[in-house]
Amino acid sequence: MKSMETKSPGLFSSIREFFFAEQAPYGIALVRMFLPAVALVPMIRRFGRVRELFSTDGASVQIFELFGQGTPLPVLPPSFAVALYGIMIFALICGVLGFRTRLAFLIGAPLYTYFNLLDAVSTMTKYSVIAAHILLILAVSECHLVWSIDAVLKRWKDGREASAIPPLVPVWPARLIQILFCFIYFGAAITKIQSHAFFSGEQLRYWMLSNWNYANPVGEIMATSTPLLLISGYITVVWEISFPFLAWRPTGRYFTLGIGVLFHFMTWISLGLWIFPLICISCYLAFLMERDIVAIRRFMHRMRLPSSLLGFPRFAIARAIEMRPAAVSVSMVWLALATLVAVGSAEADYRFDLYGIRANDGMMPLKKLDREVALAMINNSRPLREKDKFFSFDIGSMLVGGQLANRKAEYGYEETIIAQCNINPPHEDLWVECAIEDSDARILDSWGQFVTRDSLWANFTYQTGSKMAPGDYWMILKSSGKEISRRPFRLTGDLGSLPPVAPLLTN
Amino acid sequence: MRLKRWASVLFVTCYILSLTWGTAAHALKVGLCGNTLSYLVVWDMFCGWQAYDNRTHIVAEDATGNYFEVREPWGAFKPFSNVDRVSYDVSSSLIARHINHVISHTSHPDIDRVYVVQEIWPKQFNVPAHLWSYNFHEPMEKVSYFHLTAICTAKGSSIESYPDWFNRQTLLTISDNPRLQQASREATPYYNTFFNPAANNIQNRFQATSDSHGLNTN
Repeated sequence: MKSMETKSPGLFSSIREFFFAEQAPYGIALVRMFLPAVALVPMIRRFGRVRELFSTDGASVQIFELFGQGTPLPVLPPSFAVALYGIMIFALICGVLGFRTRLAFLIGAPLYTYFNLLDAVSTMTKYSVIAAHILLILAVSECHLVWSIDAVLKRWKDGREASAIPPLVPVWPARLIQILFCFIYFGAAITKIQSHAFFSGEQLRYWMLSNWNYANPVGEIMATSTPLLLISGYITVVWEISFPFLAWRPTGRYFTLGIGVLFHFMTWISLGLWIFPLICISCYLAFLMERDIVAIRRFMHRMRLPSSLLGFPRFAIARAIEMRPAAVSVSMVWLALATLVAVGSAEADYRFDLYGIRANDGMMPLKKLDREVALAMINNSRPLREKDKFFSFDIGSMLVGGQLANRKAEYGYEETIIAQCNINPPHEDLWVECAIEDSDARILDSWGQFVTRDSLWANFTYQTGSKMAPGDYWMILKSSGKEISRRPFRLTGDLGSLPPVAPLLTN
Repeated sequence: MRLKRWASVLFVTCYILSLTWGTAAHALKVGLCGNTLSYLVVWDMFCGWQAYDNRTHIVAEDATGNYFEVREPWGAFKPFSNVDRVSYDVSSSLIARHINHVISHTSHPDIDRVYVVQEIWPKQFNVPAHLWSYNFHEPMEKVSYFHLTAICTAKGSSIESYPDWFNRQTLLTISDNPRLQQASREATPYYNTFFNPAANNIQNRFQATSDSHGLNTN
């Protein structure tokens, strides 16, 4: 009788299995189709501005300059820059379609990175860094083996010898994208942990109220709800840290990727980010393994969804390519098209006449500015208004994380009134007072506290107790003796229902 | 085939090592200064936001005292929203080139001076009117503060530059302290002109290598 030995795989073989297990490259092929398409959106938007942003006839700022390392990249004359830019767009579109895929990414990825590095002010962002990483990985991967024009042409070329079984290749390119996202989220969590005032919600609030990205109406609503910001902040950091530990667990990955999609959706509606979430979500497709694609295909088949239509563009383009003369190779077709695009781009730039020199028979004039307006801008050394040092003033009865969680305008006896002011940094050390005024403008109580320069909020707690009679009151915030804001509140209830106050001992 | 496998292993190893370096350097704040490549492997997407919004305005003045708005007449590029590109220049790396670019591509009288001005306002005034009335319960009285950050030539070269509004405000909050002002006044730099060890060393060396008695400064 043979005894059965169960050997657990060693660390080395586990790592080898993790990176070099062979699967059909569906996940990486999906990334190939979606990520460059998203990365192209901001680049196509800049096509008419290449002369201004990336050429010697404009004002480019290389990212190396921000780090004090000069301008190592060559800045090209406008016609050459526009031609190269056109080639970059063409190469990335070819990458999406899978037409001479490796060549497309080997040309498109460096050009994409070059143009981003050339404009540190308005093109280079963290999403373009992520896209550059992915384009590099795609350039060295076998992402063209499925769902591409290259695959269609190969199958037609092989004829009857072509196998219906998809080719199997090592999964390491998909693994690298997965690992990249673990590092991204982990790094982002470290940043948030190091950011002052992230966990009290101030940072998120000020970001949501910034109009530096696209419109974010939901963010503007969220910005006024501190508990929501606190909870969002904690959930985000916990998810970001746990991502590497859950992303490869059988069930955990659905959870963590699901939260990821939700998180990026929220950054879209609350922060006005468009491209960043789409870049990240398109990279999540690298987490789809062969078995996931099989399951999705079965589902689509069961639902009778016309999935064959998705392949129509690549088959149509492949048919058009096959109509070339026999002596012309596919790569030559690619290069000919790229040349055509380069020449067309340079011509388009010339006709576009960005600076309007030909259209206006000379340079356009600078707009004259009213003298009063100009002097008001230049000679204005107006000190900050006292009220502009404060973000808000509210009254409520509950604190969460030290911040006011609710707003109230009506209190009963024995309730606690909490008045809170949020202060905009940077501010000096302040003496802030809170006063209660009745409906006849008589001050009933006034108390103050120092608010040091590192404080972002100050709370004033007031026990209604037996001091006030039912009625209408004002809670007034003052700083440096000036009234900043006031909030009305009403005290209700029966004064006689209160428990008797203990006699005052004076000895 | 074997070579391809080894190349893959090398690529994977180098890639993961670079990501590891980026994350460790970011966490420990080491090796990032003056290192552009760190930007490609450091993931600091949330590095803080100001409480005040700001925009950059550039005003040119000619010899006869006329003022011009230094803004692209062909339309400023707005990279992400409705904010001009120059306002995203937080490190003031673009401003000189931007001035030169706009002025050299437009017609105008000879420009004497160019003023770079920051416009500042508290961010709570960015909320729409209906949210303002719901949350703040008082009239929306937005005031913009203008702060001169630089005076340049028509080519963008800096003639005078000042701390930006945020730095100035921070400095004001610190200097608004009589004790610190007193300490600062008492700590006036003082240079000893009678005793200089470095000069003594030079003199000693000179004496050691010279036939004479060295320099006599009497």
